[in-house]
Amino acid sequence: MMGCAIELRGVSKSFELLREKHMSLKSAMLSFRRRRPEQILGLSEINLTIERGETVAVVGKNGSGKSTLLRIIARVYRPSSGSVVTDGRMSTMLALAAGFHPELTGRENIYFNGAIAGLRAADIADKLDSIIDFSELDGFIDSPVKTYSDGMLMRLGFSIAVESDPDILLIDEVLAVGDAGFQEKCYARIETFQRTGRTIVFVTHDLEAAAKVASRAIWIDSGKVAADGETAQVIVQYLNSIAHQEHNKDG
Amino acid sequence: MYDSIHHYAPSQLCGKFDFWPSRAYTLGVIMKPTESGIVNEFKELVRYRYLLSQLVVRDIKVRYKNSVLGFVWSLANPLLQVATMTIVIKYVMRLDIPNYSAYLLVAYLPWMFFQMALLDSSQVVLAHRDLLRKVYFPREVLPASVVLANLIHYVLALVVFFAYLLFYKFFLHGASIRLTVLWLPVLMAIQTALIIGLSFFISCLNVFYEDVKYLLTVLLNVFFYLTPVMYPAELVAAKLNSPLLYKLYLLLPMNALVDAYRKTLLPPITGLTIRDTPIQGLPLDYTVLAAAAAICVIIAIAGYAFFNARKWVFAERV
Repeated sequence: MMGCAIELRGVSKSFELLREKHMSLKSAMLSFRRRRPEQILGLSEINLTIERGETVAVVGKNGSGKSTLLRIIARVYRPSSGSVVTDGRMSTMLALAAGFHPELTGRENIYFNGAIAGLRAADIADKLDSIIDFSELDGFIDSPVKTYSDGMLMRLGFSIAVESDPDILLIDEVLAVGDAGFQEKCYARIETFQRTGRTIVFVTHDLEAAAKVASRAIWIDSGKVAADGETAQVIVQYLNSIAHQEHNKDG
Repeated sequence: MYDSIHHYAPSQLCGKFDFWPSRAYTLGVIMKPTESGIVNEFKELVRYRYLLSQLVVRDIKVRYKNSVLGFVWSLANPLLQVATMTIVIKYVMRLDIPNYSAYLLVAYLPWMFFQMALLDSSQVVLAHRDLLRKVYFPREVLPASVVLANLIHYVLALVVFFAYLLFYKFFLHGASIRLTVLWLPVLMAIQTALIIGLSFFISCLNVFYEDVKYLLTVLLNVFFYLTPVMYPAELVAAKLNSPLLYKLYLLLPMNALVDAYRKTLLPPITGLTIRDTPIQGLPLDYTVLAAAAAICVIIAIAGYAFFNARKWVFAERV
């Protein structure tokens, strides 16, 4: 089953450079000068097509625009220009525990997170058992998540993201969570994902993990696609450029 | 006042290319760049109604901490306030109106709904900062959930109010419940429209300006005394001594609403005097109420448009 899962055409994203973190309404109403805030270009003219069933690793230095790209695909940011088309239900694992409320139980939080992912109560009820199973939290699922450890939260978050059975899975940084055993389980789950023709896009600094999981890599540098192709080749190019820069710095 | 916000949250940066799922909840949703508009935005909100209901349920669960006692506690504050005001008015200001606590309560409960919903909505976007920065969902579910949770709280408080009226009727031979009580859902709908419109403005402005919540607290304090909560609107009519000015006063939607709640749920007020001159109770002015309702609807639509023009910048600003 081929077809386009994600398509970006001429996507640029600029941000306003904020001089102060907060503005007050009072000063905004009293100031007569209207300075145009400076714009920083986060992404410029990105053209990208990701086919259904592909697993794509996005690599690049800090601040290169990797996460911005992922957020644009996830529709958290709107592009300043260009268009984004995605086909399929997306699940984002941009932060595993972002949607948890500490006072509610694990089970209640599963429902809430499912709702954020755009699922209905019946869909979530269907998937509830497999989510709890995968997370290995059956004994704690009716306790408030404020009593959970960080590891337990991560496991629950990962389980919700993968077991909600999305067509497109977006991951920022963490590809596998928990101890070695649980990480193995995560990788195995990702493999099943790939076999069933699901699309995965993940941002990572872990080049080893990228090489292990992804068939294709995209190197983002200063908001532009610097290289796009077979994972091993792109990683070599990326590492060469880092080595080159280090060399220039030394020399 | 709003011009300056364009400057900090230019909608042209994010408004030109919008994408909306053609069918959410089904596998194979295609998100295409389409023109956004208030109708499409609203359809998207309706698609995410399950998230909205989850947010409301979560809010109420957390507020009442899953217990009946939590609900009783949340009622303690308005009841104590009304008891205090009754004592002050009866014994300090010496306004001798029979059954005055009922007239206070019937106005104070909708005021609480107004105040709590607006204060909550000033915090709601920042409180969901993590979620906004990570996940897509229609942003308007946040203020909408706060208003709905407070509406439910208000309905529960009204149940207590009617219990109180029955208690008065049977044990103290007070006012009985009247047929005009049928107006109640209409008044609640108008008030909800007003509150949702204002909370769209407030929740959005608070993302860009940090002093909005302080300003709101001050304004709510001022408007509490401007609104006929502690005193009947008849006193204002008598002081203004001009039917036109009085009509204008009632065009402030909360004034018209509080007055209408009082006049539809309770019998006309009696025993009202200023310096020993008796003051006549006034009938409910339905024309002015209709005009105030129209203002509420306009505020709701304007608030929604204002919010929508800026909601996709929240993730960059919180």
